[in-house]
Amino acid sequence: MTDPEKREDRRKIAPIVPSQSVAGRTLMFLVAIMTFLSCVTFGGVALVQKSAIAWSSDVGREVTIQIRPVEGEMMDANLRLAESIAEATPGIADAHALTIEESEALLKPWLGEGLDLTELNIPRLVVVELSDPVGADIDRLAREITAIKGASLDTHAAWRQQLNTMAGTIVISGVMVLLLILAATVLAVVFATRGTMASNRDIVDVLHFIGASNRFVAGEFQGRFLMIGFRGGVIGGLGALFFFAVAGLITASLLPGSSGAQINILFGSFSLGFGGIAGIVLIVPVIAGLTAMTSGVTVRRFLAQIS
Amino acid sequence: MIEFNDVGLRYGEGPEILKNLNFSIAPGSFHFLTGPSGAGKTSLLRLLLLSLRPTSGRISMFGEDITRLGRDRLLALRRHIGIVFQEFRLLEHMTTFENVALPLRVLGQEESDYRANVEELLDWVGLGNRMDAHPEVLSGGEKQRAAIARAVIARPDILLADEPTGNVDPELSERLVHLFAELNRMGTTIIIATHELRMLKKFDYPRMLLNNGEIAIHD
Repeated sequence: MTDPEKREDRRKIAPIVPSQSVAGRTLMFLVAIMTFLSCVTFGGVALVQKSAIAWSSDVGREVTIQIRPVEGEMMDANLRLAESIAEATPGIADAHALTIEESEALLKPWLGEGLDLTELNIPRLVVVELSDPVGADIDRLAREITAIKGASLDTHAAWRQQLNTMAGTIVISGVMVLLLILAATVLAVVFATRGTMASNRDIVDVLHFIGASNRFVAGEFQGRFLMIGFRGGVIGGLGALFFFAVAGLITASLLPGSSGAQINILFGSFSLGFGGIAGIVLIVPVIAGLTAMTSGVTVRRFLAQIS
Repeated sequence: MIEFNDVGLRYGEGPEILKNLNFSIAPGSFHFLTGPSGAGKTSLLRLLLLSLRPTSGRISMFGEDITRLGRDRLLALRRHIGIVFQEFRLLEHMTTFENVALPLRVLGQEESDYRANVEELLDWVGLGNRMDAHPEVLSGGEKQRAAIARAVIARPDILLADEPTGNVDPELSERLVHLFAELNRMGTTIIIATHELRMLKKFDYPRMLLNNGEIAIHD
């Protein structure tokens, strides 16, 4: 190394609070773990909500007329009658009866392939698409199809309500878990900060003896804690994004074909979407800020106690 | 500059460590503070360093009654006082240069402003070639000189030293006292706590003798 390089190197002044310490690393890992748990909880809630909204929205845009086979009734004629009643109802965009093949295809994921369903008197469905889910006169449709023997209208309302209740419960539970994790983070950061301050007590004492104010000392430590919080937050956030990416890939590879399709139909894909990713990215500065704020208060209280 | 009036000190409900101390120290003077172990030398130094408040009496320093000052004002006044600890108290993660420059960083000075001064002082105390060394590789004498340099870099009005020659050989002890004398000639008030009789005999400075919590000054 040449002399100018040595002089250049000498100009890099060490921080007053050492950047690497066991207590600092412990706090960083703690923040990383808490951020990971927060992000996974948030991501899980986002997935459930996203799937529930998509499912509810899809289901809400159509109703189904189910016609059970009744002895003496002509199924094809009843299907055409149901179609015409539906199409004459205000707020209905389209109504079409599923063919035998389409009805059998619906059952294949559940009953498997290779079964001969022709001998089975399966109910037939008329899918009614709503142009205006709110304004459609579903009551009139329900009344009028009673003229067809064996016909019933399924608005999926019970399913939707159950799904909304389940999704709402999961979201509330997730928010509660998230709040508990944040509370646990605050408590853990308080203890870790006090540990870090205690392990750096010699630095604090020397700074006090040479006339440094509590504000100066707190500033030096808070800067360090902000960095620790930010690094821990980034590690935890990246870990959570990696977790969701891997989980998505594993889900897709373990459940190929019809099984995967069923999972996708029922629960949606294992994809966070923009909102989920943005939320996780937002959690990182929130946790970093929370760590810095909590550490700041703890440092100031610690300094006030020892002064 | 320093005036003690009926100053007493006790820790909690314990016995009185210092009793009715009455003395004054003129600016620019040099005093040895001596007495047997447990006499209260370190406690008196802590009072002078403003890191303790007396339990009775009044202490005046820099024209202010320090028994009535708030914490922030005390910390501000402490910047006028340099301290050399017996156990050096250098920060292990910092080089000699960084340790010595620490009081100037606390004062908010930029490295470009203080580098030349710190290097000059380190040369003066004989550590010009040890600027980049960390305390773990310094000898006892080098640590002591680094601690002294740190105590005086901000040009304090008062320099306190607690057994500064306790960890070094007799030859270096004398050199250190000469160093303090040089600082004193530049106007710094020096108070050195020591119980080394050899040192007290060799250097003819006023002595503050502390015994059983009471003080007697011998000019």
